[in-house]
Amino acid sequence: MSDPVIVLDRLSKFYDSIHAVENLSLSIDSGEIFGFLGANGAGKTTTMRMLCGLTRPTSGKATIAGADVWKKRQIVRTKFGYVAQRFSLYPDLTVEENLRFFGGACRVPRTELDKRIGNLLQLTDLEAKRGVPAGSLSGGMRQLLALGCALVHNPPLLFLDEPTSGLDPVHRQRMWNLLYDLSHSGITIFVTTHYMDEAERCTEVGFIERGRLLAKASPRALKESFSAKLLEIDVDPVMPALVRLRDQPEILGVSLRSGSLRLYAAEPEKLVSRWRQHWPFPDLRWFGERWVDADMEDVFTAYSQGYSAVLKPLKE
Amino acid sequence: MKRSTLGAIASVAYKEFLHIYRDRRVLVLLLILPPVFTLVFGHAFEIGDLTNVPALLINADQTPHTQRFVDLALTSKTFRWRMQSPQAGGESDLLGHGVQAALVIPKGWSASLVNGDPKPLRLYLDGADTNTAQQLEGRLQETLGKFQLNERQEMIDALPEEVFDLAKKLPIEVRKQFVSAMTPWSIENKVLYNPKSRFIDYVVPGIIGLILQLLTVTLMACTIARERESGTLYQLMVTSLRRREIVIGKILPYLAISVLLILTIILLAGWHFHVKFHRHAVLAVICFLFLLCSLGLGLLISAFSRTQTQAIQFSVFFLLPVFVLSGAFAPLDQLPKFIRYFAELFPLTHFCRAFRLVNLYRAGISYLAVDLAALCFGVLITFVGAMFLLRRIEQ
Repeated sequence: MSDPVIVLDRLSKFYDSIHAVENLSLSIDSGEIFGFLGANGAGKTTTMRMLCGLTRPTSGKATIAGADVWKKRQIVRTKFGYVAQRFSLYPDLTVEENLRFFGGACRVPRTELDKRIGNLLQLTDLEAKRGVPAGSLSGGMRQLLALGCALVHNPPLLFLDEPTSGLDPVHRQRMWNLLYDLSHSGITIFVTTHYMDEAERCTEVGFIERGRLLAKASPRALKESFSAKLLEIDVDPVMPALVRLRDQPEILGVSLRSGSLRLYAAEPEKLVSRWRQHWPFPDLRWFGERWVDADMEDVFTAYSQGYSAVLKPLKE
Repeated sequence: MKRSTLGAIASVAYKEFLHIYRDRRVLVLLLILPPVFTLVFGHAFEIGDLTNVPALLINADQTPHTQRFVDLALTSKTFRWRMQSPQAGGESDLLGHGVQAALVIPKGWSASLVNGDPKPLRLYLDGADTNTAQQLEGRLQETLGKFQLNERQEMIDALPEEVFDLAKKLPIEVRKQFVSAMTPWSIENKVLYNPKSRFIDYVVPGIIGLILQLLTVTLMACTIARERESGTLYQLMVTSLRRREIVIGKILPYLAISVLLILTIILLAGWHFHVKFHRHAVLAVICFLFLLCSLGLGLLISAFSRTQTQAIQFSVFFLLPVFVLSGAFAPLDQLPKFIRYFAELFPLTHFCRAFRLVNLYRAGISYLAVDLAALCFGVLITFVGAMFLLRRIEQ
């Protein structure tokens, strides 16, 4: 379970002067669900496209099962399935015709194809929609069909580029359940997302920001790397409080969570005891505080905003 | 070729066929356009002759002599004469009268014909359309010549006996010379290559070329552009399909359709217009090369444009000069030299010329060699270019 399937070695992609991806090095083990987290434009899609052999790396290299993803892309492509960010199936072809076409394109033997299509329709729960044009499916079903098409040649590795963006919570849940099933059957999954809660569902998470890898570890290790205690306070009115607290020099950042303010500070205990003696904002009413555990969003904020004071080195 | 390659090509071809089949509007276009175009073009140019051209006749010299000329002019099928009194005037306002020509017989014309100083007839012609004016003048000149001949004959018949007696005294050679000079001299022509001068026989390759270029280039141009626009091209590229498999697979359905189109046009031209086709095998080779050229061009445009809209725009920009300058509907000979060289760049020019060389001139292969080579070269260039551009998309 621990031999790396995907290895990136100082992988970079520059578009003119824009550094889309810069010196990205990481390795992903077989059987993992690797979540690649980052804001829009952070370099997630570019990285994935390089791994799929759709974009030539400017420098560095990446291998899948030991084969260079650019030089050996014809071989590498038989080893993975790819679900693109945009719906990219044929809307005028039916569900079954789409599956059949990609099966043929991926050289699935004719004798096996019918059985595989049957299995995939069952897996994605699209049996009833078999003869329906893909263009008239709902967003969630389209995404399931795209997943089916990516799996038609039984690949050991699956790339998904924001597979749940734009999906309703029900279909999001369904997509993730499917990914768990696939992972259970031994498929390595590389998924990009900008939903923090989805990162918690992965076995390994990588943070990317402006083309650079900020951290890579399991969700638990990442959360444990958040050293500071997290203070949440209740203040009224909340919005002016947020703006003014943000400007305090000892506070790195403030985020609003369920009506309370979460404060990122290097030494929150000191802050609280000082405030108990003297609350510096007479026009804001402070009526409660509590200590909370950092969630993935806190960790990502800390890494992406460079709040190094609240982070400690990752345990390997 | 490996079996898996054939299977992959078949998958792409079948998918592409489904795209065409599902797009009912295109399908209807493909089925209706070729026969309709053939019928319309065939009938539009069927009659090359000018007949029943509306014209004005103003006779300001009301004499029996002039009337004889008017009667002769009225027998002409070329003109549909409308008489107008000389007082009305405005004979140069052709547009106002709704005519294409106006003939004025000036006052004292018949007198001038016999007093040794014949006056000319005055003719106003609509020269907007560059061909008709000259043709109309020619026809009128013919009528006038006939009239002159009749008049001369009558003059000779009316000569007194003494003149003939006098003439008999001339040496036989001189008399023969006179007889010859008085007989209308004529040309006995033999029209070769298209003896009945049927325009349809000339224009058939033009129709085939027009329809094929219009449909295959634009449809083919859309295929890859569409996949690029919708993002499916990347999905195609991450499969193990090779570039050439995608290209061949995409071309096959259009190739089949184009062959059907050509057959439709040829059968219709044969049955309806009685066009005869000779040396079918050679014609088939010419058509096939031209077809590949058209598909290659479409492919090239497709690989070049990012969206379907662009693909259509590029196709139209390319096709417009082709239709005007390729010699599909009018001979190229009258064009200036540099434009003729420019026209040599279009596959349609070579296709039409080669097709006519075979079907009208029955020329041997040596006459076709240059055009065939040009078509082959076109196929090569477009396909290599398209492959090269597709390779660039990939990177």
